[in-house]
Amino acid sequence: MIKARGKIGFHSFLRSRFWAIFFLVSLLIGIRWTKGAGYLDFYSILLKPILPGTAQKEWIMEGLNTERNILIKLLEEDNNRLRRALSLKEFNSEQRISAAVISRSSRNWWKQLEINKGSKNGILKGQTVIGPGGLVGLIDSVTPLTARVRLLTDPGHKVGAWIDRAKSHGILTGMGTDRPKLIFLNKNSLAEIGDIVTTSPASSLLPPNLTIGIVKFVNEKALPSPYAIVQLTASPGAIDWIQVLKNDDQK
Amino acid sequence: MIKNNNNILNFLVILSLPILIIISPNWLKLNGVTPCWPVIFLLPFSIINKPWNSLITAFLLGIFVDSFTFSDVSYIPSLLILSILFSTYGLFNKKVELFFNIGLMAVFGTAFVGFSIWIQKIILYSVLRNNWFHSWSIYILTSEVIITGLVAPFVSSWLLIAYRKNYNKNF
Repeated sequence: MIKARGKIGFHSFLRSRFWAIFFLVSLLIGIRWTKGAGYLDFYSILLKPILPGTAQKEWIMEGLNTERNILIKLLEEDNNRLRRALSLKEFNSEQRISAAVISRSSRNWWKQLEINKGSKNGILKGQTVIGPGGLVGLIDSVTPLTARVRLLTDPGHKVGAWIDRAKSHGILTGMGTDRPKLIFLNKNSLAEIGDIVTTSPASSLLPPNLTIGIVKFVNEKALPSPYAIVQLTASPGAIDWIQVLKNDDQK
Repeated sequence: MIKNNNNILNFLVILSLPILIIISPNWLKLNGVTPCWPVIFLLPFSIINKPWNSLITAFLLGIFVDSFTFSDVSYIPSLLILSILFSTYGLFNKKVELFFNIGLMAVFGTAFVGFSIWIQKIILYSVLRNNWFHSWSIYILTSEVIITGLVAPFVSSWLLIAYRKNYNKNF
């Protein structure tokens, strides 16, 4: 009797255990050939659901922010200690009085704000007023319950300013417009458009390193001294709440 | 009773002046500039009163209005001159209640007050003498003149009529 060819060929191979060994050997060769690529891909697919997601990113960012805040706090304390040693004005972020703007005259002959805190709340003449964006002006006069703020834009109002990049001092003078003039004390100011203007770190009248604005125009050839036009970062025309910085010796 | 009406009118004027200056409602502003309230209130009073009375009132009004600004430049010089001009004009022109007439006087008065403040600031602050073209001053002056010219015919003419009525009843 003649047997069918199929039964002695592929069928007998399948029936035997040899195919399993063949498959295993092929798999191992494949893994070796691809340097375990398939295995690693499979592993990465398995890990995907438990990999760090957006929530973890937020935790990390929060941690980073906390670390930076602590660092800023430590640096501020360090800075204040050094400033005290040099008898310079301190910047104490905790000694602030928040006040609401009750009357605004930022476009009239007098550029001023009236706020709802006065001498009863510890506000004194000459104190620094800041708003969202940086320095707004100085306290001009005080009543028991209100205070008048003279804005930086008021004609003739002068405060010391500093450009850190160029290491140059100047006097920021109100010109009646929204952009005060920074008159430099040196012949070569080295200021450029886009430079950040702050209060002077060596000032004994104003707290140091308060943002004032950004340089929009520079005239190096002006006589008797070069000047720059500064765009203020705080907008007094739109501010409803301000903060008054207490003096160092005040509690 | 007549005397009481006069007192009530004066009381309302004295009360409304600081309110209008402090509150400075946005709907009464032009480009953020308020009307020149001292001129609006001084104008009707000066027209019906003699120069000396107007002069004293202008001086007191100037002191009062100056208290709402920085103590650098003052309203007093310009208000004193305006009070004499308005009262002299009022002595010889009895028909100044005309709507446009009083508006025009307020416009000239505001321009005069504005120029006075501008000149005082130039004298006081040397930085303003570097450049004689002050765009901010022209901006404020123009806006103030226009808004005062629009408001004065309503407020000043009403006050003038009220003063005249009380004045005629009293004398």
